[in-house]
Amino acid sequence: MEIRPILSALLRNRTGALLVGLQVAITLAVIANAFFIIAGRVERIRRPTGVDSPNLIFAKSQGYAPDYEHAAALATDLALLKGLPGVVAVTPTGQVPLSGGSSINTYQTSPDPKAPEFPGFYFEVNADFIDAYGLRLVAGRAFRPEEFVAVPANNDLPPVMIVTETMARTLLGQGPAVGKRLYDDTGKSAEIVGVVSDLQGSLYRDTRPGPSDVLFYPRGGLGNTWMYAVRVRPGESDRLLPEIERLLNASGHGRAIDWVRTHDWFLARTFRSDRRMVVFLSTLVILMTAVTALGIVGLATFQVNARRKQIGTRRALGARRTDIVRYFLVENGMLGAGGVVIGALLAYGASSWLTSAFQMPPLPPLYVLGSALALLALGQLAVLWPARRAGAIEPAVATRTV
Amino acid sequence: MLGYYLRLAWLSLRRTPAITLLMIGAIALGIGATTTTLTVYHRMSTNPIARRNEVLRAVTLDSWSPDQPWDRDHPELPPSEVTYRDAVAIAAGAPAARIVPMRKTSLTAEPGGGRPPFLVIARLATRDFFPMFDVPFAYGTGWDARADRNAEPVVVLSKETNGKLFGGENSVGRVLKLDGREYRVVGVLADWQPTPKFYDLNNGAYDTPEDIFLPFGLGAALDLQPGGNVNCWKSEALAGVHDLFGSNCTWHQLWAELRTPAEVERFQAWIDGYVVEQKKLGRFPRKLNNRLYRPDEWLARHEVVGLDSRVLLLVSFAFLAVCVLNVVGLLLSRFLGAAGSCAIRRALGASRGEIFRQHLVEVGLVGALAGLGGLAIGALGLKALEQLYSSYDRLTQLDLTMTVAAIALAVLAGVLAGLYPAWRICRVQPASYLKTQ
Repeated sequence: MEIRPILSALLRNRTGALLVGLQVAITLAVIANAFFIIAGRVERIRRPTGVDSPNLIFAKSQGYAPDYEHAAALATDLALLKGLPGVVAVTPTGQVPLSGGSSINTYQTSPDPKAPEFPGFYFEVNADFIDAYGLRLVAGRAFRPEEFVAVPANNDLPPVMIVTETMARTLLGQGPAVGKRLYDDTGKSAEIVGVVSDLQGSLYRDTRPGPSDVLFYPRGGLGNTWMYAVRVRPGESDRLLPEIERLLNASGHGRAIDWVRTHDWFLARTFRSDRRMVVFLSTLVILMTAVTALGIVGLATFQVNARRKQIGTRRALGARRTDIVRYFLVENGMLGAGGVVIGALLAYGASSWLTSAFQMPPLPPLYVLGSALALLALGQLAVLWPARRAGAIEPAVATRTV
Repeated sequence: MLGYYLRLAWLSLRRTPAITLLMIGAIALGIGATTTTLTVYHRMSTNPIARRNEVLRAVTLDSWSPDQPWDRDHPELPPSEVTYRDAVAIAAGAPAARIVPMRKTSLTAEPGGGRPPFLVIARLATRDFFPMFDVPFAYGTGWDARADRNAEPVVVLSKETNGKLFGGENSVGRVLKLDGREYRVVGVLADWQPTPKFYDLNNGAYDTPEDIFLPFGLGAALDLQPGGNVNCWKSEALAGVHDLFGSNCTWHQLWAELRTPAEVERFQAWIDGYVVEQKKLGRFPRKLNNRLYRPDEWLARHEVVGLDSRVLLLVSFAFLAVCVLNVVGLLLSRFLGAAGSCAIRRALGASRGEIFRQHLVEVGLVGALAGLGGLAIGALGLKALEQLYSSYDRLTQLDLTMTVAAIALAVLAGVLAGLYPAWRICRVQPASYLKTQ
């Protein structure tokens, strides 16, 4: 019933209406996309690593002296670390999960060189790795200690391997994986002897291999650089980290201990840019919404002041306070609705640029809808105070100033 | 007249302090956010070797697999690195003013004096690396041609490494033990922080340069392990670092200095000829695709300015736009609210131009105050960003260019925001306002 007069009043003051509408539109386009980006980053940061991250310590050793003996150093290091009170389990490891580095190989489920290839991240570990990483054996068996080869002759596939549940599904679908053989493109093969629970081997990307497509080889590495994953009892990592560093440094062997770090250190480094983006975008979203809201308050206040006489006249002619308040609420709602429609179009425009330029997934409609509703509610809230002031204008104003 | 306008502007702003603060605050916030992201973006996308952009070329060869391209998303691109054998063959034979093959490795330095050994990142390169990339020396120089030929154990230290090992003094002639062997220091660099690290953008484009520099030949002579990416497509028997040298794995960077377009053409023809020859030996199964990149093209190819900073830049400009729209609305209402007094001034003889100028001065004042506020907010924003970027703090220093840009942006934003309202107010018909008084 009130729409028509409000609309015609708006059309008489097109500039003001356009300004508020545009602000709402741009704000919507930005916050809908920002919320979508933020949600993606938060999901990535929060995704379970699959390993016992809070209680994992990693150490890197690099042999450098001409008389450095890799196998001997490995054996004494493992004995030293295992003997340390508070240590649960230790494995040498070729990779730190989610550290940014990775080793990738491709595997086939048949010796036919034309068979499809599946890439996977591989970790070189010993028989204790399931305990050391805090994984769970889901099927088959763990490595036997005698299967571990400290210094392999080459980088061919080892005779036996263990895969994650996801890798097993990637390779073999729902069928059983234990006992199956995997081949490389030269026809050499390895037997899957066990399946373990998932861990994130490397950073999540949309391309293959997927983050949890991980295989384990029972062996050391080719070079003289190696790492250890040390799992400690809960709450002991702060105490044990310097202890481990001192122990390894004191053991000699003609090598240097490059670093000793917690898994959380790597996670913080890996997700630093995501955290930064979340903080930065949230700040901008909050500021932008605040500026838009303040703009609505400011403009509405001016409108109220400019229309004191008309409001007084309407009151004198019988309009109630709530009629006046409702007038401003409806007016703001109409502006907001127009802005939101344009904003939705802008939001999808920005999203399609992100999709084509950066392979971002397209913006789900829910984000646009949610942001639009939030902005409309915010607009109503912002206009409420000036509207109530308008409602408080006395009918006598009409008679006094004419 | 300007003084009078300024006084009028000041009085008018003082009349509604809340709205004035809101306007100044809105533009200041927009400017602050925009300067913060512009600074980071500017630093990230700046070409640190712009002086030599025309003469330097990164060399790439498509030595990848016959079955799949190097990069599935960009199948037209050759791999970003080259094999050892191609790096060496091209460096030895191709016609160019300078060619530098290089790669990264790591060694263990023994500082002596009871201090524990520590890892240093080394760049293996030929002597032309230093003049080619304008690398400044504090002490000594690079090594000579003989050191390259004979893979002599000489070393150039970065400023930081020299500080760590020798307390920052002139260490030329001193001996440094690396991996159990003795190396003679021939040079120490002055402060050198090319950002991004254009000559090798793998493994951290914003990392600091390497700790030490060694003659390229030492890599093969001592089988020094790879310190950067090693990408292989072919299943070859690799029993250790030694086997990498003859393999088809790409793990070297190759740069050439070509001073004229004719030299570029000649060089391109030479490497194309080289690859055609290699094809006869069964290598290079893909179609001929050898590309040379200027440093700016190289940075673009590696997309060192990623999604995040572009999105942030766009968002802060959107934010600035919202702030400007906001202020236009507020100014418009203000000016029209005060239309009555304008009408009186017009009736008393002020021209439209004078009214317009007077309001522009008011707007400019708002813009200038907002610019100052924006700079303060920008500096705060960069301080906050430093926490978030930690090791990348060189990305987050407010520099002169950005300061000037911020002020210009503020005044521009203020004037843009004020133009339309000032124009509207000077079109007001005095009569209609005078009548209602």
